[in-house]
Parts: sequence; C-alpha cells; structure tokens
Amino acid sequence: MQKYEKLEKIGEGTYGTVFKAKNKETHEIVALKRVRLDDDDEGVPSSALREICLLKELKHKNIVRLYDVLHSEKKLTLVFEHCDQDLKKYFDSLNGEIELDVVKSFMYQLLRGLAFCHSHNVLHRDLKPQNLLINKNGELKLADFGLARAFGIPVKCYSAEVVTLWYRPPDVLFGAKLYTTSIDMWSAGCIFAELANSGRPLFPGSDVDDQLKRIFKLLGTPNEDTWPGVTQLPDYKPLPIYQPSLGLAQVVPRLSARGRDLLARLLTCNPALRMPADDAMAHAYFHDLNPSVKNDRC
Amino acid sequence: MAGNFWQSSHHQQWMLDKQDLIRDRQHDLSKLTEEEYQKIFNFFASIIQVLGEQLKLRQQVIATATVYFKRFYARNSLKCIDPLLLAPTCVFLASKVEEFGVISNSRLITTCQTVIKNKFSYAYGQQEFPYRTNHILECEFYLLENLDCCLIVFQPYRPLLLFVQDIGQDDQLSTYAWRVVNDSLRTDVSLLYPPYQIAIGALHIACVMLGKENLKPWFAELNVDMDKIQEIVRAIINLYEMWKNYDEKKEIQGLLAKMPKPCPAPQR
Repeated sequence: MQKYEKLEKIGEGTYGTVFKAKNKETHEIVALKRVRLDDDDEGVPSSALREICLLKELKHKNIVRLYDVLHSEKKLTLVFEHCDQDLKKYFDSLNGEIELDVVKSFMYQLLRGLAFCHSHNVLHRDLKPQNLLINKNGELKLADFGLARAFGIPVKCYSAEVVTLWYRPPDVLFGAKLYTTSIDMWSAGCIFAELANSGRPLFPGSDVDDQLKRIFKLLGTPNEDTWPGVTQLPDYKPLPIYQPSLGLAQVVPRLSARGRDLLARLLTCNPALRMPADDAMAHAYFHDLNPSVKNDRC
Repeated sequence: MAGNFWQSSHHQQWMLDKQDLIRDRQHDLSKLTEEEYQKIFNFFASIIQVLGEQLKLRQQVIATATVYFKRFYARNSLKCIDPLLLAPTCVFLASKVEEFGVISNSRLITTCQTVIKNKFSYAYGQQEFPYRTNHILECEFYLLENLDCCLIVFQPYRPLLLFVQDIGQDDQLSTYAWRVVNDSLRTDVSLLYPPYQIAIGALHIACVMLGKENLKPWFAELNVDMDKIQEIVRAIINLYEMWKNYDEKKEIQGLLAKMPKPCPAPQR
C-alpha cells in the first residue's frame, strides 16, 4: 500500500469504498477499491471474487482494467485503471445537448465491450450509466462486475433482484429465472435512448408495475402471439393492453431513422428476438461511425 | 467462461513447463524423493475430495480446489504453508468462485475436524484439526496472491462429455473416463496440459480398460498431438502403478513426518 498515495474518495461501490490514488513511482493515477471484510465468516466477499476473477479473464479496451490486487493484514485492495468520470456524471456536466457523434461513439464502444463479455460467456447484469466509465479521450469502459457472472456451465437460476429497475428487461420484471446475454442488450437499449436524450432516462419506473407499464406504453403490451411463453413466466400478471405508440421518433427525436431502427431491435420485449451485441455493432447506424473509433483495436 | 480457454488466464499463465516444475520443487525434492512427493499430494488430494464430498460440493468445485492446491505448491515449498491448512482454504475459495455459494466457515472447520478424526486418523492419530476460522481467512489472502488472482480453472469434464457425445452416448465409457479424470487430479497433468487433452487421455485409458477396439478410428481422426496424449496417459498409468504397491495407511505418517514444515510449526 506504500506504493500509492490516496488522493480523494470517489464513491461507494457494491462492496467497498473507491479512492482515487497516485502511484508514487510512476505517478500514474489509479482507482483503489477497498474491499470490506466485515462478515468474518465469508472471507473475501463473493462479489469481489467474481469481479477479480472475471476481470482477470477479460482484457479489452472497453472493459476497465484490473491492474493489481494488494493485501495487507485485514484488507484487500483492488487497483483499477482510473477513468475521469462515469456516464452519469458526464450527463450532469453537459451544457445543452450531447453531440450525436458522441452518442454513436459511446454506443459502439458499449456494444463492443458487451460483445467481448458475451463471447466469453460473461453477463454484466447491472448495466447503468453509473457503471460506464468515460476517460478524457472519449473512451468508454464497462465497470463494476460485482454482479456479473460466468455462465455456460449449466446454471440453475439467477436471482431476479439483480438489475437496477430502470434498465431491467420485461422478462426479468416478469420473474424469468433463466436469462442470457439478452438481459444486457435491453439495458444497452435503455442507455442508447438516454444517450440520445442527453441523459434523460427512458423508463424511470418507481416500482415493478410502474416499470412494466412505462415499457408497454411505448412498445405495446406483449401477448402470446408477439412473445410466446410470456404468460407462463413466474411473476406474469395481466397489465392494461397498450397498443404500440406512434413510434420512437417522439421518444428520441434527435436520433436518425437508422438509430431508431437499432433502438427498436434492442428494446424488443421478447428476449429471444432481441438483437445480440455483435449484430448490433454491424447495424447500418454505425456505417458512418468515425473510423478512429471503429478501428481502434483492443 | 467456457469456450475461451485459449484466451484464458489458465492457458496464458498456468500452463506450466515440466522443467520449471522440477526446478521449482527442488527444495522439497532435496528432502523427499519424487515418489514420496507424489504420495503426499495424493494424500492431500484425498483430503480435498473427502472434504468436498462431505460438504456436498459438485465434482467441478472439488477439481478446482485441487488445482488451486497444486498451483500453489508449484510455486512454493511445502514448508511455506501447512498443506493441512491450505487444503480446506482451497475448498473454501473454490466454492465461492464456482458460485456454489459460501460455505460457512464454522461448518468448514467442523467438517475438517470430523473428517480428520473419522477418515484420516491413520495419518493424524489422535491429533485434532489444529486450525480455526482466522487461519483460513488469512490463508485465503496468500492463496489469492499466489494464484495471481487467476481463479477460473478449466476442467476436463465438459470436453469429456462433448467427446462422448461425439462418439455416440456410451454410459459405461463416460462413467469410466470421468473417474480417470478424477484420478488425473492426483498427477501433475492439470498443471501441464490443456483440459481437452486430459479428457482425450482419460477416454483413451477408459477405452483400453474396457477393451473398446472399435474406437480406434475415432482417435485416429482426432486432430491432436498424440505425443501429448501419450504423455498424459503415461502419467496416469504411472499413478495406477504406484497405487498397486502402496499402502497409504502404513506409510503416510512417516511421509508427513519427513515433509518440510513451516518453521516454527503451529501448535498442535
């Protein structure tokens, strides 16, 4: 720990406090995540272990880098690459509207990070603006894998209480227990709309019912025709029948027609039809993406 | 993290070289013969296996714990940490990583006490399991650090099931080969070869034992380095040869006494 000089507290993570710090030798700025070991019985918390072992396997430009794990007497400290701010703070600091090029660049990088996770059979499960870090060069990185998990090995079920309500897909809201990469793609869609609207959340629901109603008011209430099996989900409940509203043009007025098409494919209630990350990256919306973003190899 | 073995920390950091292994074990091998060394690891693999079974863990978790154990001592002497402490710590860490859920530490300690008393009294006599929760938690830190936080371990079980599927479901064959994979945890192959090769080696042994001549063409068509497979087969067969003339119950006390120990030894 002598190696780093603590500068300031950045925030509270899933399982501990995060500090900004400086490497005394190299002067590199890093983020230190102190892992609390309060429950004497558990040892290193599972959420921290999950993050450590996944980040150890996932090395990619659009995923926050874990440099080191330090341990002292009774503390464990994770040393992360430091980013200047998260997407939430970025929205707060905007003066006026976000540039549409930036929307496209951020969205592409989000999808590229996700495609990489998903190709490694890792679900993030907790995507939200606070978990997307942005650095000075306009690079976006996925962070906070405390709820992520490796899948692929036969899994029993996932707890339904994992994704922040606003970014939670309808299948999970209906209690689906066996979900896949599609969970992250819904969240990515919500974040896409939020980006295009300079930080205004798309579905800021107050509880599960309100969340579902907000979704269905925009997309139409699903039924067995549009989504076979929906009525069999554990927490399914009949909700008012909304017809699909006039379309996304009013919801994301600044987004191009291609952008709206991509958004619609991500915000698809039936998880089986939701577009996967690698397909989304190939969508026509990104044809005129700045080549420096696209070619940036990891 | 299945399917990405080639990009994994397992492949990139933990496929060790036979020569390096021999070099890193030099200290222990100045006190023990290679066979004695193997017998000690065989014994602690049994402890991990029995502990895991008592705690009702899946074989995958037990296998991961055993690989942690072997990785730790691939880089450290037996005197660095008493293997009787490291073994349950590996089980504790593996059960969290494999998402089996946390084993309560008090349950772990109680299970260790019962297992040592009831199943391994031939090794420890009347001695009780000497460690407590705080030892396990401290040891977990050292283990994490020495593994360089590479916690995801690929096992031969999944590739094995895929190969059996490809051959055409054969329960006798898959059961037998599965057991050979379990046995392979008592050799160094998990440190030296990719899991899919170990799976093929285990299948090979199972076919020979069961006299399944008809599978020769299947092996011939595999696009693998058959020399590697033969090395794996030899390592496992050597283990079986060793078992033939070995009575652990008689020899283990002497071996444990001879084993390099932490200094000063913890109070028993």
